Amino acid sequence: MIGTDEIFAKVQTLPTLPTSVARLAALINDPRAGTLDFESVIRPDPALTANLLRLANSAYFGLSREVVSVRQAVALMGLKRVFEMATSAAFARVIPPFLPGYGIAAGDFWTHCIAVGILSERLARDLGRDVPGLLFTAGLLHDVGKLAIGSFLVDEALPMHAHLADGRISFVAAERAVLGTDHAEVGLAAAERWALPPAIGVAARWHHAPLDAPTPEGRVAAALVHAADCLAHMLGFGTDVGEMRREVDRRVVEMFDLRPARLERVAGDTLAEISEMARLMIAPQESRP
Amino acid sequence: MTQLTVDIADCVVSADPEAVIVTYALGSCIAVILHDPVRQVGGMIHYMLPLSETSPEKAKDRPSMFADTGVPLLFQAMYSHGCDKKSLVIKVTGGGSLYDDKGMFNIGQRNYTVLRKIFWKNGVIIAAEDVGGTKSRTARIHVGTGKVTVRSQGEEVEL
Repeated sequence: MIGTDEIFAKVQTLPTLPTSVARLAALINDPRAGTLDFESVIRPDPALTANLLRLANSAYFGLSREVVSVRQAVALMGLKRVFEMATSAAFARVIPPFLPGYGIAAGDFWTHCIAVGILSERLARDLGRDVPGLLFTAGLLHDVGKLAIGSFLVDEALPMHAHLADGRISFVAAERAVLGTDHAEVGLAAAERWALPPAIGVAARWHHAPLDAPTPEGRVAAALVHAADCLAHMLGFGTDVGEMRREVDRRVVEMFDLRPARLERVAGDTLAEISEMARLMIAPQESRP
Repeated sequence: MTQLTVDIADCVVSADPEAVIVTYALGSCIAVILHDPVRQVGGMIHYMLPLSETSPEKAKDRPSMFADTGVPLLFQAMYSHGCDKKSLVIKVTGGGSLYDDKGMFNIGQRNYTVLRKIFWKNGVIIAAEDVGGTKSRTARIHVGTGKVTVRSQGEEVEL
């Protein structure tokens, strides 16, 4: 069975991201970067350009007028928003067809990611809060650790299932029991390995215990992602082997004074946008369990 | 065999005895499954939320999103196939929940409570159900026979 040290060693050998994503991540951290820099990264990649423009015209990101070029997208939406869309479009291509340890196909995994990105932002707005920087991407990539673990997990899937079959244990607890770590810890390591902006690593690391994040901004963003993650699991967006065995952190409920009516409104208002974005970014699937 | 998939916030009725109606990933959502053994008609709704008052506009676009607007629609669709209320067999599944000690995320429980109220008001009796818990479920009905199965945690049971 794979050891914890081995897992973290393997994270350092994960394949690098497509050049375009890595360069975009570097640009978003560079205050001097401008429209031309973004264009020079995205334009040479026709698939990325096409996906970016589809997203730019989706109901969720979309504006009242049609966006036809990368330059126009940046002018109308700003660099941060275009980075968020480009990262989504680029990550969609690096997901393997199936994540063995988690019993989930790529399409369902990605639907979950999209749902958490959208729900995080919508919840922040519904609460009347400023949307933390890169929150959509932080939500989208909160499970990046599963992607990393899934890429080298084979034998561990069975004991994890056995732990889950055995009484009231959360999915994260089953991961810890079998792997000695969980996808949140591995998520931070993977985000660092891929040089993603810090906000993304922080949300990935703390989305199951948001109030333990080291900074106030990190706590708010991770808490929004946590609540969105819970909602997405409830609504069945990307169900995996853990099914509904997830802990709602009561400190997050208290922090935002979350009530059923608000959660139901946020869920109902985002369904169409989540479904549309999943359709735009996922090839049709052949089989489901 | 034709397979008809019911998406979240959607409703499907079929009078094709060869058809199987299926819905996936029922978490806190609920599937109400109807069968008329006389007419060999089957129907299923996969609703997401209890009451349309949270988003009246959404209820106009997607009435099947809510129990109070969607469930009556499912019954009406069955009646329009010539089904008689008295012969309908009604099964219910889903309504799961997370580990949530404050209960604020308990949409599953609310979905179920509202459904029971609607059924009670209309004198509808549930023949079989598998609701609650931390399960995510896949539900199927074979339109010809009325056989309903629920799959969860790697096991399939007949309801």
